[in-house]
Amino acid sequence: MFAFRNHSSTSAPQSKGRCLSPLATLIALCLFVPTAVFAQSDGGLQSGTVCNLDTRAQQALAKMLQASSHQRYEGTVLYERAGNRQFVTVSSPIDNAEQGMLRRMNAQADPPPESWPAPFDSPQRACDVAEVYLPTLESGRIVAGRATQRLTLRPRDTLRLTYLIDMDSETGLALAMATVGSEGNILERYVYASIDYQAVSERGPLVEKALRYGRGRSVVPGYFLLSEDADRGVFVVSDGLATASIFVEPLPPGAPVGEGAVIEGATLTYTRGVRSAAGGLLISVLGEVPVVTARLLADAVRPSEEQS
Amino acid sequence: MKAEERDREALSAVMDGEAQELELRRALDAVAADASLRAWWQRHHRVRDALHGHFPNDTQIDVSKGVLEALERGRPISRNPLWNMAVAASVTLAVVMGAQQLLLPSTAGSPVPVVSELGGAVVPVLGAQPVQASLGSKPLPGPTQQSVTAQESSQNIAMVYDRLARDRYRAFNGRHAAAAAYSHPAPYISYVRVPESQLDVSAAE
Repeated sequence: MFAFRNHSSTSAPQSKGRCLSPLATLIALCLFVPTAVFAQSDGGLQSGTVCNLDTRAQQALAKMLQASSHQRYEGTVLYERAGNRQFVTVSSPIDNAEQGMLRRMNAQADPPPESWPAPFDSPQRACDVAEVYLPTLESGRIVAGRATQRLTLRPRDTLRLTYLIDMDSETGLALAMATVGSEGNILERYVYASIDYQAVSERGPLVEKALRYGRGRSVVPGYFLLSEDADRGVFVVSDGLATASIFVEPLPPGAPVGEGAVIEGATLTYTRGVRSAAGGLLISVLGEVPVVTARLLADAVRPSEEQS
Repeated sequence: MKAEERDREALSAVMDGEAQELELRRALDAVAADASLRAWWQRHHRVRDALHGHFPNDTQIDVSKGVLEALERGRPISRNPLWNMAVAASVTLAVVMGAQQLLLPSTAGSPVPVVSELGGAVVPVLGAQPVQASLGSKPLPGPTQQSVTAQESSQNIAMVYDRLARDRYRAFNGRHAAAAAYSHPAPYISYVRVPESQLDVSAAE
């Protein structure tokens, strides 16, 4: 099984599956000391906010991140990336239902509903995102018949992508969003064609059983562990907005050491084959992150003998 | 067609990276059970290596055993057709890489020249006809072959990892989508990125 240099409170699911080969027992994810974010109420959107969100842009960021959990809506969305364009209908989780629904309208006649989970609903997220992105706010365009504000999230370093978000001026919901790569190219985008809000009687999250925002240790600047499945060699990290999944497997027999990457829309897949005294490993990183971040995450997987 | 001819044809497909999993398994079983077939396979690898500018080596590299063990471990991933291609291709790759690795330790201290350092002599080059060195006018064939081989090896590695990256994307993007949905401002977008057939709903739980 895998081990970590420092164990802390991550929402690690328990593995019930096959263990990796014995070499996997010698692997760990190298960790760095996380940056502390001090708790201080801002008297803002929701009690329990754990950092200062002083600017209008930061407050808009917090409102946008919580909107999906606090609004009840149905709508039609256009999603686009290179080689892929589809309309989907979506509806938010209703009352205490834990899942929202979507239908892919270009896939087949009478498309079946698919479920999607309620997002993290934690004031900590806005603090984490504001730490590594620089939010700016300006007047926006009309989207789906609604006035919007343009929230731009530019990364404060080279480890993240840029997001252009048109958020509903009233509800804060992200009605359109474009993900921009390091070279200024749009990797993917979505925009609502129509949206209907339903009345929300109570203030607070519609979904009471949303997954806890289990912020773990930092492994790469700004990215911290959300979950770890040590036995299966699966790790998930996030900076509060972007997510990357790391999968560790034995290197296929005969495969040389090396690296490669492919990108589909905003999702990068980076693979690296390495050999060590513990044996060969294939590390795969999937995420909406630049290549440099994927490389750093792969670097973070280390033999446990390097643990302190 | 005789059984032996069928086995040899299957082995040729394996060496070319064109065998499917069942064919690969059958071919490897045949190699394990038939010493003459095993010798035939090794001879073909040596000839092919020589044609690609590699020295044949005297050490037996039983690649088939490792591949069989990988198949026997029954990793679910091995049912992926792309992965089968990777396994099949790695059979040949392992032999090539293994030959290089076996040569390198013995030459680490005192490199063995690919061509003779004696000028003006008839230089035997494995995998090629003897040539008369013409110093100062034309490059000797050895180093050129070496650089071509290194380039081919680099290209092979790039191809392997391009294939691995695409394979791992298809294998894991559903699981990643389920994990990424929680942090996306519009969680359903994470799912829309992935074809429905590749979604891993259990990973979201």
